Amino acid sequence: MKLEIENVSKTYRGNVAALRGFRLELGPGVLGLLGPNGAGKSTLMRILATITQPTAGRVLWNGTDIKHAPDALRTVLGYLPQDFGIYPNLSAAEFLEYLAAVKGLDAASARKRIGELLELVNLADAARRPLGGFSGGMRQRVGIAQALLNDPQLLIVDEPTAGLDPEERVRFRNLLSELSGERIVILSTHIVSDVEAVATDIALIAQGQLIVHGAPEALLAGVNGKVWEVVIPSGELPALRQGHLVSSTAHRNDGVHARVVADAPPRPDARQLEPSLEDAYLATLAAHRHAAAAEAAV
Amino acid sequence: MRPLRVVYAMARADFLERVRRYSYLVTLLFAVYLGYAAGTGIISLRLGDYRGVYTSAWIGAMVSLVATTFLSLVGFYIVKNAVDRDRQTRVGEILAATPLTKSSYLLGKLLSNFAVLASMVAVLAVAAVAMQILAAEDRTFHIGALILPFLFFTLPAMALTAAMALLFEAFRFLRGGFGNVLWFFLWSFGIALPAVTNHPQLDPSGLWMVYQSMLPAAHAGIPGYKEGFSLTIADKSVRVATGFHWNGVEWTPEIVILRLAWIAVAISLVLCGTWFFDRFDPARSRQKSGARSRRKGAAAPAGVAPEFSTVQAPIVTSTHLTPLATGARHSGSWRILVAELRLALKGYRWWWYAVAGGLLIAQFAAPLDVARGPLLAVAWLWPILVWSALGTREARFGTEQLLFSCARILPRQFPAAWMAGILVAALTGLGAAVRLALAGQSIGLLAWAAGALFIPSLALALGVWSGTSKFFEGLYVALWYVGPLHRVPGIDFTGSANGPQAGRYALFYLGVAAILVGAAFFRRARQLRGA
Repeated sequence: MKLEIENVSKTYRGNVAALRGFRLELGPGVLGLLGPNGAGKSTLMRILATITQPTAGRVLWNGTDIKHAPDALRTVLGYLPQDFGIYPNLSAAEFLEYLAAVKGLDAASARKRIGELLELVNLADAARRPLGGFSGGMRQRVGIAQALLNDPQLLIVDEPTAGLDPEERVRFRNLLSELSGERIVILSTHIVSDVEAVATDIALIAQGQLIVHGAPEALLAGVNGKVWEVVIPSGELPALRQGHLVSSTAHRNDGVHARVVADAPPRPDARQLEPSLEDAYLATLAAHRHAAAAEAAV
Repeated sequence: MRPLRVVYAMARADFLERVRRYSYLVTLLFAVYLGYAAGTGIISLRLGDYRGVYTSAWIGAMVSLVATTFLSLVGFYIVKNAVDRDRQTRVGEILAATPLTKSSYLLGKLLSNFAVLASMVAVLAVAAVAMQILAAEDRTFHIGALILPFLFFTLPAMALTAAMALLFEAFRFLRGGFGNVLWFFLWSFGIALPAVTNHPQLDPSGLWMVYQSMLPAAHAGIPGYKEGFSLTIADKSVRVATGFHWNGVEWTPEIVILRLAWIAVAISLVLCGTWFFDRFDPARSRQKSGARSRRKGAAAPAGVAPEFSTVQAPIVTSTHLTPLATGARHSGSWRILVAELRLALKGYRWWWYAVAGGLLIAQFAAPLDVARGPLLAVAWLWPILVWSALGTREARFGTEQLLFSCARILPRQFPAAWMAGILVAALTGLGAAVRLALAGQSIGLLAWAAGALFIPSLALALGVWSGTSKFFEGLYVALWYVGPLHRVPGIDFTGSANGPQAGRYALFYLGVAAILVGAAFFRRARQLRGA
């Protein structure tokens, strides 16, 4: 089972480049695709889901170019788009039955699968209610269920936890971990904690380009020994932000506890911390921006 | 001054959003075509068998009436999306959270609707000038006679059209396909209103006013003229009455006030609409079942902190998924057909099925001519909203990405959706088909089958290409009105009015259906390729 993304570029009308020479090779496991807004994540997801075609480059699923034989992938694809609609007059079960028929599942398998999926996403009690009355989080769970209908070998989920409450988010993370064994899961998000929880691999994308691809440990190694905590009066926070990369702050009784990513301690009283993936992500992104700015200046 | 600024800002933003879409170019092209049709005689204004000399007054009146008549019908469908766009893009919810009043919002939208329609009128006004130059029947230009009909006939009618479109959007039950169908009948009624009531005041289009103004000159200049005044399409029998000189409508203050009063009516209608406009409150448009089920969930009392001594593990339900069997992904085509049929018919209330059933039973019980004539005509208008969803449902509900990432959409789902439409036509018109078969009328049966194929094919093609159900709803009702209802041979796609030519017309409609399905297939294939 292999997904190869070879030099994929996508340029929209008005010469807006969303992806530029993107290259990646994936096997079974969960890939966390991280990047800021507008980095090209959703464009990449749509290309992999055969919704959009790349302007250049190709995507191979087990050696087959999905541009020429999209059904080779679609048969085994589960896709949860960032924005999707539902048919408001259908119930959750009916909507899933409809999509199961579209995906070509036979009636008996579909019935069993839909029952399990509704249990899985905690919608069994609401299965017969019209989707038009569902909350955003409930609709998102229906979206998750439909993506799993055909027992996909490639599961692409774009911002899947948007709108989910904390309990459902944890539940979804656990589900992704369990599913990842024998399939490729691509989890696109800008919520670093989601990726931290489940990803076996991380790809960082910015300005349509792949910046880093590797295991979370490798990304973390880059900021090992470079994360500090300083406690300062709140009035000094703007000055600290001017000179350093501050990844988080928390107001406490003794002042502001700021988490700083820097090569050297930002203050003599700074305390070294264990790096988190968010620290590594922000530091890598900041380094990329500096490099891009320097390149532009030349 | 602030409310005026808000109205202006609302109208400006909405107008710019519209004119920067490709569909606006199509809109303008339609106006150009209307101008061309008027200029080349495809559409003509006639009194009896004659038309007047193409003077400034005649051309101004004729082109302005063409604009008034056709743009008030088609323009309604073009602009009836001002509020819906804000609903779909969810900009409406942002606006609803501001101090913007319902009246400011709707008046802004009215202005924008009016501006779009007025831009089409402007194209036709230019066409009128060009027409007089090119026709060269009278080289004397009277700019007032040429342009004033646009100002006093067309623009007030456009204001009224813009307001009606907005009013329909304000009422929940008129927002969708039912409103689109209803508009056609309202429009027909509006055109006939002054003739029916004999009140020149009730003349939103101005047709009656022009007719009354032309009568004395017509009696004097047209040999043997008694009565008759119409805008006709593709009628080659019209002759020029060289002695018929009409100097145009005399714009007395009363007439001008009467015409401008329609603008006041338009504004009043929109202000009335504020009573019914939900201001993007989903609770006011949500289904009752949803509201009921929400009430079931009892909320915890506020302000009470939870008490626990030890942290409990969450209750975890099963996350086990049985892997699909190897052959599970190869279901028969009938399953997708049943799923499409269910989707097409879902959401209709019991009375919808009751009426469809009643019409079906009546087809079995009535004499054959009635069964395949008026009864079949009504039976094939009743499911119009089922058909108009073909090809547009995915775009309307935003399920394209879910569907288009599935395998074999073109060979499975696309034909299944089309077949579901045909099945609806076949089921609703089954009585007429059985009666024709029992009577041994094979040509009649062929015509019936051609109709049953033609309707969903037209719906699918227009839906897939336009992405909206409005075009089918508007065009189909117009076709139905002229063909099956008024029994115009050739236009009657049910075949009952086509007499000895029924077989030939049936083959024609079968051919058209094939072309339409081919066009829809081609477009859907392109959509699937992400083009």
